[in-house]
Amino acid sequence: MANVAETLGEVVERDRILPPASLHLPDHLTPAAVVYPATEAELSAIMACAWENSWRVIPCGSGSKLSWGGVGSGVDLIVSTARLDQVIDHAVGDMTLTAQAGAKLADLAPRLAQHNQFLAVDPAYPEQATLGGIVATADTGSLRQRYGGLRDLLIGISFVRFDGAIAKAGGRVVKNVAGYDLMKLLTGSYGSLGIISQLTFRLYPGQDASKTVVVTGAVGEMEALLSALRLSPLTPAALDILSPALANRLGYEGFALIARFQSIAPGVDEQVESLLAMVGPALSAQVLQGAEDEQVWAEVGAALFPMFEEQNEAIVAKVGLPPAKAVTWLDQLPSGSLARIHGGSGIGTVRLAAATADMVKELRRGCTINQGYFTLLEAPLSLKKSVDVWGYSGNALGVMKAIKAQFDPHNCLSPGRFVGGL
Amino acid sequence: MTVAERSRIDWVPIIDAFSVALGSDRVVRRKEEILVYECDGLTSYRQRPAVVVLPKTTEQVAAVVKICDRFQVPFVARGAGTGLSGGALPIADSVLIVTATMNQILSVDLDNQRVVVQPGVINNWVTQAVSGAGFYYAPDPSSQSVCSVGGNVAENSGGVHCLKYGVTTNHVLGLKVVLPTGDIVTLGGEVAETPGYDLCGLFVGSEGTLGIATEITLRILKAPQSIQVLLADFTSVEAAGAAVSAITSAGIIPAGMEMMDNFSLNAVEDVVATNCYPRDAAAILLIEIDGLPAEVTATGDRIADLCRQNGARTITIATEAEERLRLWKGRKAAFAAMGKLSPDYYVQDGVIPRTQLPYVLKEIEALGDKHGYRVANVFHAGDGNLHPLILYDNAIPGQLEQVEDLGGDILKLCVRVGGSISGEHGIGADKRCYMPDMFSPTDLETMGWVRQALDPDLLANPTKLLPSPRTCGEAAHSIAAVTLPNVEHF
Repeated sequence: MANVAETLGEVVERDRILPPASLHLPDHLTPAAVVYPATEAELSAIMACAWENSWRVIPCGSGSKLSWGGVGSGVDLIVSTARLDQVIDHAVGDMTLTAQAGAKLADLAPRLAQHNQFLAVDPAYPEQATLGGIVATADTGSLRQRYGGLRDLLIGISFVRFDGAIAKAGGRVVKNVAGYDLMKLLTGSYGSLGIISQLTFRLYPGQDASKTVVVTGAVGEMEALLSALRLSPLTPAALDILSPALANRLGYEGFALIARFQSIAPGVDEQVESLLAMVGPALSAQVLQGAEDEQVWAEVGAALFPMFEEQNEAIVAKVGLPPAKAVTWLDQLPSGSLARIHGGSGIGTVRLAAATADMVKELRRGCTINQGYFTLLEAPLSLKKSVDVWGYSGNALGVMKAIKAQFDPHNCLSPGRFVGGL
Repeated sequence: MTVAERSRIDWVPIIDAFSVALGSDRVVRRKEEILVYECDGLTSYRQRPAVVVLPKTTEQVAAVVKICDRFQVPFVARGAGTGLSGGALPIADSVLIVTATMNQILSVDLDNQRVVVQPGVINNWVTQAVSGAGFYYAPDPSSQSVCSVGGNVAENSGGVHCLKYGVTTNHVLGLKVVLPTGDIVTLGGEVAETPGYDLCGLFVGSEGTLGIATEITLRILKAPQSIQVLLADFTSVEAAGAAVSAITSAGIIPAGMEMMDNFSLNAVEDVVATNCYPRDAAAILLIEIDGLPAEVTATGDRIADLCRQNGARTITIATEAEERLRLWKGRKAAFAAMGKLSPDYYVQDGVIPRTQLPYVLKEIEALGDKHGYRVANVFHAGDGNLHPLILYDNAIPGQLEQVEDLGGDILKLCVRVGGSISGEHGIGADKRCYMPDMFSPTDLETMGWVRQALDPDLLANPTKLLPSPRTCGEAAHSIAAVTLPNVEHF
């Protein structure tokens, strides 16, 4: 601590530097210090200092997802952007938001809502999550159905490079093809290419009305309904399929399909009626509105990503499947698995109370034989050390390595945390 | 001067190697046959490549690129050649790899809403292949009946309906790519957000500088149940711009929202005579909304109200397909109509924050007056993507250079108000010297890292997208003369 903190003290004010205990760190991370720059210039100075001293650096926002990803090869310094939390520009008429990476989604939401706008992401730990952390982990949820992933929402980025220089790409307009799309390169890169300092998103208008339909029943009927729904002209804002154990947490029996419709009131009613008309006699349906409509989605998120871990043996994984394979895959999960798959994209989350390496391999195989993927987010350290955390099965690792070598030539940014040990 | 006289490269062994890899009928060398490939949609620049090859498969593309790598000769990829920024403009002493004959739709998976195509497949073939089942492919550049999906991927093309549904990059799930080394890799996949860097997202819009896409997995969408087109006409451009802002601010995202000014709408009325655009209107808005019937009706009413509140004179609403097409016809024919008004036109592609529309349109008019050229404005108003069309006569020496200066001034105006120098046409050869107006040296150096990682020998479309100090010096007066020293001007 002394050495790193002392050296850093020559670059930034002392009050920016705190001991590791200032964050709730996973056991495998034992940095000498955590530093909280308050300006982009300070962040730049810190990174230049880290580079000169060959420190291994892991960036974070609030630190709620530091345990995600690979275990890595140690760390000297954690750089938190939590104090870089300013809104630079909410261009109301243009429906864009430019803010620093440490701004919290939960703090921004009311501000945007004043203008009937919102940032269309629903990540894990929504109270803690910062914009930078959300982008670095590409973490959003059910809203992917209508609004896409982070890659579809992010239109501009600034980040501090390994050498402390500040680079940017994209801009503040919703349509822009000038230059390489570094927004997409940095999205989901887990701090392995640079430290995100500022982001610009496209915003969406708030919706007049909202209702959720919950349909429950057995696997066969559910699969048929989902298939019919995909082929229908309905446009749910969110559409998830839940495993029986997760449905049970919400008070339902069997598999559950939850579809949220948001639009002007007549539009919502029209869509709800259309969906109800598709529900056969073997399934049961319920329409939620008002607080219930809001609550059911929050409960799904909280069940998959509880704020306080009940047991630390649990594993949480991000999965991807062709949408038509989702229900079958859910049906093959060990009973008690909490799982949610987004109906349109086939991306989802699964949470098991405990798992062995063999179980992980088997679950992963179920995804990869369908051209999908299975990536561990949370897992006990011993498990992460005994299996491949990321499960990348493609043939472009060489390209990823070449990019990493350019953006982080000394392998000091989140070393070993990313795909293939990058 | 012929290629052979200028060339410092011995092409004989290279062409022999291509002939072995592809068969000699897929290697084009005769000057007369190469002529057609010497420019793309940006016809004011022309350059003959040394040789043109027409591969049919991924493996053949890889074989060609490996030969380029072995002999260290640059290559340029070309799809249908409709690009407007010179992205497929050949370079002297280069190999032009034309993917137009790789035109197979490889698979259609309706249940998972995916279509896999070869790069030479024409954009609207995708929709044609799935429309029977009620699906469509959303990105719809105006050239969609002739432009290729491979080119759309390279340029990250947009179109009228991208306001609501996004541009090409939002609809590409995966790519099979031949890297500049000749290696074949898969980027992305069947499902979005595959583990690792989003190389698929990085590749889309990379303008042929990171390799050549040979298989493309596209997301298709369910066609909307109901569609309505509104035509509103205004007595001032500012009022039309204010209506656009009002609609956006009201939280309405139409499928498309297009504006044409008086000059443009009269041009199309002269040429295609739709008789639906009032000739005395200062500007018209064409607004398309889609969705379920109840939503479309209610939203249409709100849009009509907002247009009236902002001074719309008349509003025409079309719901039947034939009537909708009639309203759109003039907009779709706008570029072609300019060709009838003037021997040549130069189209730019800038983006501005939507709220700046009225100001920017005034400034563009002032810039046109200053340079002494008429500028017609036809553009995607909903996302602030301008397409100023500058009319000129290429036969008059010096006009092209003057028009490019005016285009450059318009781009700088876009950057000054917080916008971009390209919304959907790409940077290509045309605009790379304007990149420093938008990006700092550090930004450009960092983008260069991407290129360095994938194409360390700079063989893939090397003179495109990023500026180089050698060609884009401060003293650059005429971009054409400085950027492309060996290129003939037409």
